[in-house]
Amino acid sequence: MATTVEDRAPEARSAEEERLLALRRRETQQRWIWRIAGYVFFLIAWEIASRIIGENLLPGPIRIAETIPQLIESGRFFSSFAATLTRIGIGFGLAFLLGIVIGVLTQSPWWNGFFKDAVTISLVSPSLIWALTGLVIWGFEPQGWIFAIVLTTFALVTVNVAEGIRALPKDLIDMSRAFGVNNWRRQREIVVPFLAPFIFTALRFGFSVGWKVTVLTEVFSSNEGIGFEMRVAQQLFRMDELLAWAISFFIFALILEKLVLQRSERRFFRWRQEVAS
Amino acid sequence: MATAVATGSRSPRGFPRILRSPTTARVLFPFVVLGVWYLIYYTIDSRIFPTPQQVAVFMWEEITLSSGVRYSSVAENLYVQFGISLMRLTIGFFIALIVGTIIGLAMGISKKVDAFFHDWVMGLLAMPALVYALFLGLALGFTNLGPIVAVVLAGAPFVIINIREGVRNTPKELIDMAQSFEVPQNKITRHVLLPSLLPFFFAAVRYAYAVGWKGLVITEVFASDRGMGWTIKFWYDAHRAHGVIGYAIFFIIFALALEKLVFDPLADRAFKWRPKIDAVEMAEGDFGAVRSEAFLLAENQEVGEGVPMTSMEGDSRDG
Repeated sequence: MATTVEDRAPEARSAEEERLLALRRRETQQRWIWRIAGYVFFLIAWEIASRIIGENLLPGPIRIAETIPQLIESGRFFSSFAATLTRIGIGFGLAFLLGIVIGVLTQSPWWNGFFKDAVTISLVSPSLIWALTGLVIWGFEPQGWIFAIVLTTFALVTVNVAEGIRALPKDLIDMSRAFGVNNWRRQREIVVPFLAPFIFTALRFGFSVGWKVTVLTEVFSSNEGIGFEMRVAQQLFRMDELLAWAISFFIFALILEKLVLQRSERRFFRWRQEVAS
Repeated sequence: MATAVATGSRSPRGFPRILRSPTTARVLFPFVVLGVWYLIYYTIDSRIFPTPQQVAVFMWEEITLSSGVRYSSVAENLYVQFGISLMRLTIGFFIALIVGTIIGLAMGISKKVDAFFHDWVMGLLAMPALVYALFLGLALGFTNLGPIVAVVLAGAPFVIINIREGVRNTPKELIDMAQSFEVPQNKITRHVLLPSLLPFFFAAVRYAYAVGWKGLVITEVFASDRGMGWTIKFWYDAHRAHGVIGYAIFFIIFALALEKLVFDPLADRAFKWRPKIDAVEMAEGDFGAVRSEAFLLAENQEVGEGVPMTSMEGDSRDG
């Protein structure tokens, strides 16, 4: 497509393209200006609000920026992160596997009927009830928080995997069958590549929901981790520490999202224009 | 997949057919859950783990008000606690809807406003309800205000995102055509703009309600002395597993009833004219599918502008 246009009128195309490029550049520039204006506005508003209400109750961004290095110095920072991430890794890892298995199973109408209510219940119920139920039964033992994380997040994975399977290119699979491509190759070269974007979506959603419920379980039954630290900070009336914990994990999640997941997603899907772009 | 088709085409008769119908599977599910429950009951080393009967008796006593448990002087029973939560949810929900619609419309119409708010809306979306629950408890005390603010903070970002996407998805060519045929503006608004916004507005309502509810109960645990969230925490603190499980089941019943009795019929009615959305997104009550659909939509939109979407939204969307 592009080559034919180029062949016909290279000068016209380049002039047109230049104009479009300039327009685009200006638009991006303007977006950035307004974006920065947004940051400046909200940060200043936050700082002013904290001065009016009182720094102890609503610490401003400056105070929080000072608190985060203090937390790192105190030595609890990395161990808390490690504890929370371990919980997420185990809990969400299991939920992820379970969600994929159920998502694949629900392709059969019988299993779909079987798991339908389970998926709906998991999607509409507050994570609080799973956290409290799991923890009242199992206490500090790992089953409690695993129960809570799995029941909160598995349905997100299931829904995305089921959707991905529904979107599989049936014609390609039929064709590969007709040409006698063996099953293993068919799975590896058609099914897995087409499912991958949905699995990535499931991973991202699951993680963002998973860390919230993980922190919640830590509040109720743990003696380490970010949730525990937040609870302690609240009980000591250290609002700055509470927000510093929340924001530092938030930044961590953002970096993970931007640098790791989106990069690998882009690498993964370079071959597919409509997903990668 | 292939096996399912095969069994379907063979269409066995009588008992095997009943056994293979998805409805049987659906009915079977609660019994499997009960089976697992008993399995845990007989294997767990716990003095407080209840049998299903104990929980059923507890729930019955709560419903009929014959348990004799008085939670506090202000809110004595299940119904009062529930009413308090619902009132907070409704007030917060409407505030979130109004604020979210205004900001969402502005963000959809103007790219500058969008750039201004975007990251902050996403940040709010990604904040766990726990953070503002802990904060609101300290800042506002144990009043109605804290939980209401929590509902607004949880729900508004969803309204904003959905309304913004709705505005961006208005069919420009239809509006252009209507204008060139000199259709009056109020007619365009009523017949083109509103119907195309409606699915997004509906999704906004659904998310905001669900997410608001999830945020509310967490906030009631830490920043309130009444309400449903507080009540389930009451049983947790009392170390009574049957109370916690019983209330968890009340929560599930409430959420399911809301989905099946309110949102599904509403979706059916609102989208009669649009079979595609009706069938694919709403009617199944497939809450997550709508979400990921909206997300994919949003992502496609954003890629064109070269601005990456912070897909931290999870629901969200979720406490």
